[in-house]
Amino acid sequence: MTLVAIAEQAMNGLIISTFYALIALGIALIFGVLRIVNFAHGEFYMLGGYACYLAVTLLGLPPIFGVIFAVVILMMVGMVVEQALIKPIHTGKVDRPDEYAIMITFALAILLLNLANSIFGPWPQRPAPVARGIFEFGELIIPGDRLSAAGIGIVLIVGLLVVLRYTWMGKAVRAVSQDRAAAETFGINITQASMLAFGAGAALAGAAGALIGPVFNVVPAMGAVPAMKAYIVVVLGGLGSIRGAIVGALILGQVEVFATILIPDSSRALAYKDAYGLVVLILVLLVRPQGLFGVAERRA
Amino acid sequence: MQAQLDISNLSKNFGGLQALKGIDLSFQKGELVGLIGPNGSGKTTLLNIIGGYYDASGGAVTLEGRKIDGLSPSTLARLGIGRSFQMTKVFKRLTVLENMLVGALADWGLTRKAAEDKARGVLDKLKLTRLADSPASSLSGGQAKLLEFGRVMMLDPKIVLLDEPFGGVHPELKRFMYEKITEWNDAGATIILISHDMGSIFGLCRRVVTLSYGDIIADGDPETVRNDPAVLEAYLGDHHAA
Amino acid sequence: MTLLQKILLALVVLAAVLPMVGVPQYWLYTLTIGLYYAMLASSWSLLVGYIGRISFAQAAMSGLGAYVAVLTGQLLGWPVVPSLIAGVVAAGLFGLMIGWLTLRLHGAYLGLTTIAFAEILRITVTAEHQVTQGSRGLQVRPLIEGAGPVTYYYIFLAAAVVSVLLMLALLHSRIGLFFQAIREDEDGTASLGVNVTLWKSLAFAASTAFAGFAGGLYAHFVQLITPSMMSMQEMGYILAMAVIGGFSNVVYAAFGGVILQVLLEALREMGEWRLAVFGVIAILMLRFAPNGIFGWLETRLKRKDK
Repeated sequence: MTLVAIAEQAMNGLIISTFYALIALGIALIFGVLRIVNFAHGEFYMLGGYACYLAVTLLGLPPIFGVIFAVVILMMVGMVVEQALIKPIHTGKVDRPDEYAIMITFALAILLLNLANSIFGPWPQRPAPVARGIFEFGELIIPGDRLSAAGIGIVLIVGLLVVLRYTWMGKAVRAVSQDRAAAETFGINITQASMLAFGAGAALAGAAGALIGPVFNVVPAMGAVPAMKAYIVVVLGGLGSIRGAIVGALILGQVEVFATILIPDSSRALAYKDAYGLVVLILVLLVRPQGLFGVAERRA
Repeated sequence: MQAQLDISNLSKNFGGLQALKGIDLSFQKGELVGLIGPNGSGKTTLLNIIGGYYDASGGAVTLEGRKIDGLSPSTLARLGIGRSFQMTKVFKRLTVLENMLVGALADWGLTRKAAEDKARGVLDKLKLTRLADSPASSLSGGQAKLLEFGRVMMLDPKIVLLDEPFGGVHPELKRFMYEKITEWNDAGATIILISHDMGSIFGLCRRVVTLSYGDIIADGDPETVRNDPAVLEAYLGDHHAA
Repeated sequence: MTLLQKILLALVVLAAVLPMVGVPQYWLYTLTIGLYYAMLASSWSLLVGYIGRISFAQAAMSGLGAYVAVLTGQLLGWPVVPSLIAGVVAAGLFGLMIGWLTLRLHGAYLGLTTIAFAEILRITVTAEHQVTQGSRGLQVRPLIEGAGPVTYYYIFLAAAVVSVLLMLALLHSRIGLFFQAIREDEDGTASLGVNVTLWKSLAFAASTAFAGFAGGLYAHFVQLITPSMMSMQEMGYILAMAVIGGFSNVVYAAFGGVILQVLLEALREMGEWRLAVFGVIAILMLRFAPNGIFGWLETRLKRKDK
């Protein structure tokens, strides 16, 4: 393999990592604050793709507004879902909270998937991308739609980190994810932080869907595979860890790209591509459930 | 005379924290021993190692000459070590009677009928008969403690580990529990009792062991331990720190 | 016998006489599929409702049972019954492995791990297309040569009833009590001498073995299987059926399976919308009637008695 080919694969891995990180950060943020795994995350991502399709293809807005539209819509969807379905867990209205959280988000995923199927049909849609053409860096050639999408993705990730680090809202969210009880005694509004975290988590997934929709296609089932990748990423990095989600995404992106090209039988290798990460997920959960960066949590 | 339960050079580390610093302790059959010490002194850690919930970092536990550390909680229960928990672990969605049956039925030699008869007998002694068919979730805190007590009795254990059995129990029920513990002990069971309730410990036990920072600082009859300056220091020191 | 039990028994008796009163073959076909889902929903609730272990691998286990049953027949030339048994054993052993490996995992962690196992199986079946025909689907011989819908209907009815009765026998034995005690508190159960490790593993195996049985039968009934029978979408239907019927009771979950499948057919005019409606119902159930329709009915009828 030539140096250029390796660089190209590494670049592809990096681009894919950006999207994995965007989706995974949402899961991590939600888990950190609400202590639940959102099994409908892939469907939030899918809704982001459709929001973009609505704004760009149907309303004729410029592509960048597709992303903004998706972020705003999914933020609202996330907050409504949190208020209607998740909040009862923390207000003691649910008998078996763990079981409930898993099943309700899983059922929500099924609902959203079938809703999209009913409204939009199973046909693929393809909204216009933010940028077209190709970018050339010496001999390295990268399609413009992917590079621009990844670029915006990186801006969003950096934006999220800045918000978490420097704003009052971000500090509240971080405080709650570190110690719910302590945050409450220090006067942080847990209800508000929870709603914000869930909304922001959904918005991140929506942004990812809006960015990738134009590159691949927007279809109702588009969320299943990326969501699985994001679960792998967060487990790898430690559920709830922001830094872990980013590092996990970087690792998975490279592993997938290179594992696929290193295996000689290419059709089989491609077919098993999605399985490598799943094996990693199982191994991490069985051997080191707290992930690479998480702190071991003792069961009560 | 060989001790029934022997603990030698037992240590336990949690990361950098030494919860138990190589303690030696032995119990004779039929003893009723109180285990006291300030918070974080290692009492519950010790109980959890004897009960199989934690692995020891070093040292050994032997029951009647047989090495038992490293065995699972269920195996230890079958070998005759019964325990209650600081936070009661009753099975809330099962009835009181079903709660009682679980331990008895773990012995496959016992038929359901025999287990039920035995359970009803114990419930009768504990004055819980009228609650037999109620879900355990409907019990008060004290009744739940009593039920957990009963569940341990169903195992006919040789050694009973009671972790804070009087927490949140009202005085009348507490006296009733004293009675049952004494009866149980008179019938031959070795009882190791952890409690913050000094009145109960010094009233019930004939031997009191004091732990502080993972070490045994006193071990003797209640009167001696009560007047031991080291014990006083351990408790007062703890208050100062807190 | 409570009123609800009488009603449910009457429904089973009614199901047994349906072919004799001239119910169209189309509906018998639908009910047969419904009985397949009844076995999956009830075996899933055996695990989730009683021992409190979550799993998203039930559809995949049905698929495993189906593929093993079909492939032992096609590649090794085994007759139908031994190959069905092979499917049950394969699914049971796979379940035992999952159960044993995931002993220390709980809640969402367990859910994610079971999804990973299920997806790896589905991907493998899709990828090994030389053996499985991949997503094109695998042709399957019929269960009984030349049998009509009525015969299949009775076979599935018998299979579902026997499966549920076996589950009930297990759950009413002391093992069922151990399961529930483990669901309520693992450490507490262990402290009473119950081998928690053993029962947690075996509960998984029992649940998946029933799923494997259902899958094998289903394959020989529909006579074409594809990896999509192992998808998370299928798993979602099983979950919705169990939740709507009531997953804290294997009988309720089984009825949930049949009733939902019949409704799905009856509401065919609604197109894809009916699936979305089921999603809404499942969510409302979880939120407001966590014991499902029948669990809700049970408490209502009890209250009336008093």
